[in-house]
Amino acid sequence: MMRCEDVRELIPWYVEGSLDAEEARAVAGHVAACEACVREVAAALRMRTEVRNALDGLPRLSEKTWVRIRERTGGRSIARIDVGSFLLGFRLGASVVRGGVPMRGDLQVLGQNIKLFERRRGGSR
Amino acid sequence: MAGWAESDAGAAELEDRRLLARVARGDEDSLRVFYDRFAERVLRYAYTLLHRRHLAEDVVQETMVAVWNGAGRFGGRSKVSTWVFGIARHRALDLLRREIRGERVPDVPLTLPDPAPAVERREHVLSALSSLPEDQREVVFLTFYEGLSYKEIAAALAIPEGTVKSRMFHAKRKLAEALT
Ligand SMILES: [Zn+2]
Repeated sequence: MMRCEDVRELIPWYVEGSLDAEEARAVAGHVAACEACVREVAAALRMRTEVRNALDGLPRLSEKTWVRIRERTGGRSIARIDVGSFLLGFRLGASVVRGGVPMRGDLQVLGQNIKLFERRRGGSR
Repeated sequence: MAGWAESDAGAAELEDRRLLARVARGDEDSLRVFYDRFAERVLRYAYTLLHRRHLAEDVVQETMVAVWNGAGRFGGRSKVSTWVFGIARHRALDLLRREIRGERVPDVPLTLPDPAPAVERREHVLSALSSLPEDQREVVFLTFYEGLSYKEIAAALAIPEGTVKSRMFHAKRKLAEALT
């Protein structure tokens, strides 16, 4: 039988379900027979829920983050014309590599990406 | 039940690896899919470490560019997620050091527009989290948000398993006090 102290150390991972099977069985066996540790399980579950809710509630990334990443990976965006204000969700994008060769162009209509052209890095295809 | 979770996790890992291999070959569409799978998680990890929204977004950007440039160097010895979070951690701590040296403008604290009780509660929890030492909140995040085992956390952070447990133990006590 495990001691309360050893069980309590493991309870956060027990409620998360990330203990290996043997440890999980040992913790479950102890908790089933120990009222004090049951309360610890309840507290850990509450904490898990609170932490997840709090982090899930953070505002999501804006599309700008992706645009900046694209500028640093596929090439620089040279023509991103955003006319969303009068044509809902319409956007035209094109990227070039430093040599001026177009890598990719796409048209976004109502959130849907329509590829105009694309070249893979490294040439052919 | 554990079997289900394991096979789900196994399938996700295989998909992550397939994507990363395509990213290594320069496939931008795969980078986008990879971004969709990881960006929000990296944002939350970085936010847990830094508690500054704009810095957390920078970490997402830096991490994804590093993934693009370094995908070919992923050795497959760890899970893809562990590798990604390792990069994010490195970038986050780097930004933190620069900010401490005053090289970056401090952020305005994150404010959420809707003062409903649920939102207030979330802000309260975030501020309780932010009051923990950084190494403790990191363990809380990896345990409860990413679902890592204490063994995986120990490996990811290169610290003994006992240290992971004791960080969690202290974090749990302080959070319980703050959250009652
Ligand atoms: Zn007990």
